[in-house]
Amino acid sequence: MIKRVLIANRGEIALRILRACRQLGIEAVVAYSEADRESRAVLVADEAICIGPADAKRSYLSAPAVISAALATGCDAIHPGYGFLSENASFAEAAAAHGLTFIGPSAEVLERFESKAGVRALLAKHGLPTIPGSDGVVADEAAAAKAAAKIGYPVILKASAGGGGRGMRVIQNADDLAQLFSLCTQEAQAAFGDGSLYLEKYLVDTHHVEVQIAVDKAGTALHFGERDCSVQRRHQKLVEESPSTALTPKVREEFLARAAKAIGAAGYRNLGTLEFLVGPGGKPYFIEINCRIQVEHPVTEMVTGVDLVALQIRLAAGELMPMTQAEVERRGHAIEFRLTAEDPVHEFRPQAGEITTFRSPSGPWVRFDSHLYAGYEVPPYYDSLLAKLIVWGNTREEAIARSRAALREVEIGGVETTRDFFLGLLETPSFLNGTATTGMLDAIGTADILAAAPKARA
Amino acid sequence: MPHNTERLGDLIDSLVPVLVERLHETGLGEIEIERDGAIVRVRAEDLGAAVASAPAPAASRGGTPAAAAAAPSAADDRRHPVRSAAVGFVKLAPDIHVGGKVAKGSLVATVDVLGVAVEVRADHGGIVAKLRCASGDPVEYGQELFLLESVGEGKL
Repeated sequence: MIKRVLIANRGEIALRILRACRQLGIEAVVAYSEADRESRAVLVADEAICIGPADAKRSYLSAPAVISAALATGCDAIHPGYGFLSENASFAEAAAAHGLTFIGPSAEVLERFESKAGVRALLAKHGLPTIPGSDGVVADEAAAAKAAAKIGYPVILKASAGGGGRGMRVIQNADDLAQLFSLCTQEAQAAFGDGSLYLEKYLVDTHHVEVQIAVDKAGTALHFGERDCSVQRRHQKLVEESPSTALTPKVREEFLARAAKAIGAAGYRNLGTLEFLVGPGGKPYFIEINCRIQVEHPVTEMVTGVDLVALQIRLAAGELMPMTQAEVERRGHAIEFRLTAEDPVHEFRPQAGEITTFRSPSGPWVRFDSHLYAGYEVPPYYDSLLAKLIVWGNTREEAIARSRAALREVEIGGVETTRDFFLGLLETPSFLNGTATTGMLDAIGTADILAAAPKARA
Repeated sequence: MPHNTERLGDLIDSLVPVLVERLHETGLGEIEIERDGAIVRVRAEDLGAAVASAPAPAASRGGTPAAAAAAPSAADDRRHPVRSAAVGFVKLAPDIHVGGKVAKGSLVATVDVLGVAVEVRADHGGIVAKLRCASGDPVEYGQELFLLESVGEGKL
C-alpha cells in the first residue's frame, strides 16, 4: 500500500506523476528547488516542499535532501521521475533503509542492470540478440582479423576503457584493419591508459527501436509494444512514434514477445525499456536498458490505453500485474514531439526566460503534456523540455496530418522553440515515408528541414 | 543620537510588555512611543514583537495610511528572517526565544537531515522578535525559522 508519494522531480513529469497519484487516490507532495518555486507542479499540488537551491546537486540530485523531505512530509514512497536519481541504486537503497518505497526497480535490480556490458551478456543468455562482436578484448591484430572475418565488415574497433562516443574507429575491410590496429591500440593507450580493444559489427542506417516492458514482483512480464525514436539530434531524441516503421508485422510480434520473456527471466522488476538498434535487414539488436519511466511513455499510453505511471506505482506497491498480455491491445499510431526551449536556427542553443504567450493545442486525440503557463520563467539550470505534443491517429498518415494541425496551434512566446523544426520535419520525405534513421538529421541538415516548414500567417 | 545596544535592550525590556498590554486593551493596530531619541513601535500583526528604530524620517510617518503602508519603514530594514539551511527537522538553540539576544554568526539552530545536523547561523546580530517554528518541527529549505530585529551594531 502506498498512501503518500513524494514527487522528486520537476517540469512536465512532476505534473504527470501528480495526476497519476490523484487518479489513484494517493496523496502527493511535490519536492522542488528554489528555482522552481513558481513551477506549475508546485502551484497545482496540494502540498509542496522546497528541498534546496537551484543547483540540482544540492536539490534534485541530493539523496539526503530528497529522503529527508519525504520523512518531513510524512510520505511513504518516492517517485523519482526520469533523470536525476531515477536509476541510482544507492539512492533506492537509502530510501528503502528509511522505510520508503522507491517507485522503480529495487536497489538490487538496479545494481544488476547497471553495467552495460553486463546487461548485454545477461540478456544474450536469455535469448536477446546483441550486436555481434569479439568475445571480449582481442589479444592482437591476428585475433582481431579472425573475429572481424567471422562477424563481417564493416566493424567498429572500440577502446575497452573508452566511452561516451570516444575511442572508436570504423573499419571497412581487412586492409584497413591491418593498417589501423596498432594505431588504435596506441591511441587507446594514450587516451585512456589502457590499449585493449574489442570489435563490434558496425551497423549503418539504423532505427532506434525500444520496447516498453513491465514486470510484477512474481516475475510476470508484459510488453506494451515498441517505440521508434530514430529522429535524433546528437543522440537526443526529438520525435518518437509507435509502432515502428522498421519492423514487419511478423518480426514485430516475435521480437516483442521475446523481449518480455527475456527481461522477466533475467530478474528485472517494475517498469523499464529495452533499447535496440534495427539495421537495414530489419533485425533488432539489444543495446541497453532504461530502468525508469521515460519521457516518451505517452506514445505507448496512446496506442495501448494503459496508464503506465499508474501501473508503475501499483507494481512498486507490490500489486500483481492487473492485466494479461492478451489484454494489452495496440491500436492505431501515435507520435510524440518534444518541444524544447532550443533555437534550431542556431545549433539548438538552449534558451531561458519568461514565457510571454502560451497557447496549447487541442482537438480529437491530441494530448499536450506541459508545465508552462504565460508568465512562467524558464530557469536556465535544467533540461530544456517545455512540452510534449502527442497525437494519435488510426494510421500513421492520419496521425501525421493531425500533428500538423496541432503543431500550428502551438504558440510559445518569449523563447525560441523547436516547433517550426517539427513543422518542417512533417514535410520531409524521409520522415514521411518512414525511412528516417538515426543519422538522418546529420545527413539532411537543420536548415533544409526548417526551410520545408510552411510559412506562418504574416 | 548615539545609542548602544545595551541601552536599547533595556529600553525594550521595560517598554515592550507595557506596550503589548496596551495594544490588547485598546485593540489598536499599532502603538509607537519615543524615548531618548529612539522609537519603539509595536504592531498588532506582530504581537510579541518589539520594533525598535532610530528616529524615522518624517515621510514614513506622515502622509496617508496607504502611503505609509506602501513605503518600507526604517523598522522593516532591521528585520532579518533567519532561514533553514536544509530540509529536515529543526532544533532551535537554547537561547532562541522571543526577546533572546543573538550575536552575528552564532549557531542558532540545527536541522536534522537523516541524522546529520546541518548548522544554521545568524547572518545578523539582534533580538529574537518572533518565532516561526518550534524545535522538532519539519522545515523546508529556506523556511523562515524566526525573525531577528537588529539593534544598534553602532548604527543607532
